[in-house]
Amino acid sequence: MKVLKTVAFKTLGCRLNQFETDALVTGFHNAGYHVVEGDEKADVTVINTCTVTNQSDQKSRHTINHAAAKNRDGLVVVTGCMADNYKEKLEGQEQITYVVDNDRKSQIVELVNGHFTGEIIHPDKMMGDRFGFDTVQKSLHTRTSVKIQDGCDNFCTFCIIPSVRGRAVSRPVKDVLDNVRRVVDNGFKEVVITGVNIGRYDDEGLTFENVVEQVLELPGDFRVRISSLEPDGFSEDFHQLFSHPKLAPHLHLCLQSGSGEILLKMRRMYSANYFMETVERFRKAIPDFNFTTDVIVGFPGETDDDFQKTVDFIREAKFSHVHTFRFSRRTGTRADRMKEQVSGKVMAERSEVIRKISEENRHAYMHSMQGKEQRVLIEKVAGGMASGYGEHYMPVAFAVEDPTTNRFEQVRLTGTTPSADPVMQGTLI
Amino acid sequence: MHTITDVDKYTVEDVRHVNDSTYVLQFSRGGMEFKPGQHLNLGTKGSGQHREYSIYSSPDNSSIEVLIKLVDDGVVSQQLRNVQPGDELSVKGPYGFFLTDAKPKKGEKLLFIASGTGIAPFHSFIMSYPEADYRLIHGIRNINEAYDREHYKADRYFACTSRGNKGDFNGRITDYLLSGQEKKADKVYLCGNSSMIYDAMDILRAQGYRHDQLFTEVYF
Ligand SMILES: Cc1cc2nc3c(=O)[nH]c(=O)nc-3n(C[C@H](O)[C@H](O)[C@H](O)COP(=O)(O)OP(=O)(O)OC[C@H]3O[C@@H](n4cnc5c(N)ncnc54)[C@H](O)[C@@H]3O)c2cc1C
Repeated sequence: MKVLKTVAFKTLGCRLNQFETDALVTGFHNAGYHVVEGDEKADVTVINTCTVTNQSDQKSRHTINHAAAKNRDGLVVVTGCMADNYKEKLEGQEQITYVVDNDRKSQIVELVNGHFTGEIIHPDKMMGDRFGFDTVQKSLHTRTSVKIQDGCDNFCTFCIIPSVRGRAVSRPVKDVLDNVRRVVDNGFKEVVITGVNIGRYDDEGLTFENVVEQVLELPGDFRVRISSLEPDGFSEDFHQLFSHPKLAPHLHLCLQSGSGEILLKMRRMYSANYFMETVERFRKAIPDFNFTTDVIVGFPGETDDDFQKTVDFIREAKFSHVHTFRFSRRTGTRADRMKEQVSGKVMAERSEVIRKISEENRHAYMHSMQGKEQRVLIEKVAGGMASGYGEHYMPVAFAVEDPTTNRFEQVRLTGTTPSADPVMQGTLI
Repeated sequence: MHTITDVDKYTVEDVRHVNDSTYVLQFSRGGMEFKPGQHLNLGTKGSGQHREYSIYSSPDNSSIEVLIKLVDDGVVSQQLRNVQPGDELSVKGPYGFFLTDAKPKKGEKLLFIASGTGIAPFHSFIMSYPEADYRLIHGIRNINEAYDREHYKADRYFACTSRGNKGDFNGRITDYLLSGQEKKADKVYLCGNSSMIYDAMDILRAQGYRHDQLFTEVYF
């Protein structure tokens, strides 16, 4: 019997990276490899790195060293943003077999296959294709991402991504639609539209909203979720799309700061007022629309007053979850060169304040949802209890008899578990 | 696809001092295509240090110009001052969306508000579209910072000087805007330091401008 070659994955950083790893897992699986846990010894180890902060660099480096030490006889493939940012340095390390940039990440399976069949090529000789990933297998998750865009041209002062992920590029609408059709045919019930800055989607004049609209018109029993989005990435009519039953009424809309001055120093492309007007417009049309967000605390020059504006904003906008990042200096960015850096102690205090408000907001939002119906996509069933997410992106648990997962159930929300990470309870309708 | 590379060779052609702390750096264009308002990432070859600079010249010119103010203890603004004709530069870009939607439409009034070298993208735009119906309000300290003022039509360029009394308005841009003397425009573009932009936006919003009429490019 032929022994299958093994492959292990280590993924750092963002959701896009996670999606790209999932696609590579599928690609290796389809090519006849046996996928093992990330920490296991394997014939091939793929490390999908991140470089967004100095700490991400450190973590990525550590992960590479650890994996290489463990797999001295195996192939070590390093890809992701660190591979773009420090290509030459990484190529000089003997422990790494291949350094593959983001452009060619989708071709890693061919590269590795070639290696084992004696067709050794330098990754740079392969054609770049940011969207050439395999369609993710249903066995991995109940929801899958479809990548519509890569890169970013915004140049926020805290972010290194534009210089590593490169210029914004959009996947042709036709390919996006084909991809969605394929994942729906594969049995996925939830499709997450993803990319680095999806609001900047532009396929020969077709905008982000146009592509979402076309995806919604595809046949099949599935729903569409939009991954994180910048507030300047859509028109004033965007909320109207959410009247479509397939589009989940939830947006992760990145605020970063509630202070107009800090937003300008970050070179964000919107004002706090504009953001609030957007939230209000959505809530006027869909009162229980769920907004979540990202906030950076301790950006250089952030005064108590600026921070207070962020706090007030979060309360007023009622984000049901705030992902708080302490500002982290990233070499090579403008923010790193700014004077008035905020101390770690102040950042920790501010981050704790936001964490608490986020928790309060979450409880309040869940409370407001009680008595309402949700269409829950069941991800797991254990001990007669099903769990999954409703269309508003709240976790819901409820009793079921049928243990099948990856199906929708209509549920009435009855309460919330009292914990720091609460889950809504419900009953089948 | 990935265009952040130095594919073309860019060599210094001239360094022209417009006053004792500001200069125009001119270099060869290679095959670069850009739109007025876009910026480049620029540094001396081999230094590994780059900073953003708005393109000062028009896409109609065969060379590229940038307008640079020397920043005390600044790294790149100082390095670039010392380059000589023939030296190679490291150039990446062009980037950005500022002004790229501003192509003049008939009957559309544009208000440009700049502090210091924030005038650069407007210069590029105005040199490209001299027929545009614009007003350019330039916030500077002294009148010697009214860089290349003769490039603009006299009734369209307006200097607000925070020091001295030789400006068209003696005071800050924000004081001028508050005075309510400026006629209403259809779109307002602001470029330069963030605190000027922040204060000016507040005033403009209070004067009835909608957010979709205001566009910003922050330098620092
Ligand atoms: C999109 C964009 C376009 C720009 N276009 C231009 C341009 O056309 N002309 C131009 O002169 N500059 C422009 N800048 C600013 C430029 O990129 C550099 O920041 C500036 O030249 C200082 O760089 P440095 O290496 O000399 O100073 P650094 O070593 O980076 O130190 C800069 C420090 O000085 C402070 N500072 C004080 N005055 C200034 C100032 N006037 N500008 C920047 N930082 C200042 C900063 O806050 C920072 O802490 C632009 C910036 C951006 C983001």
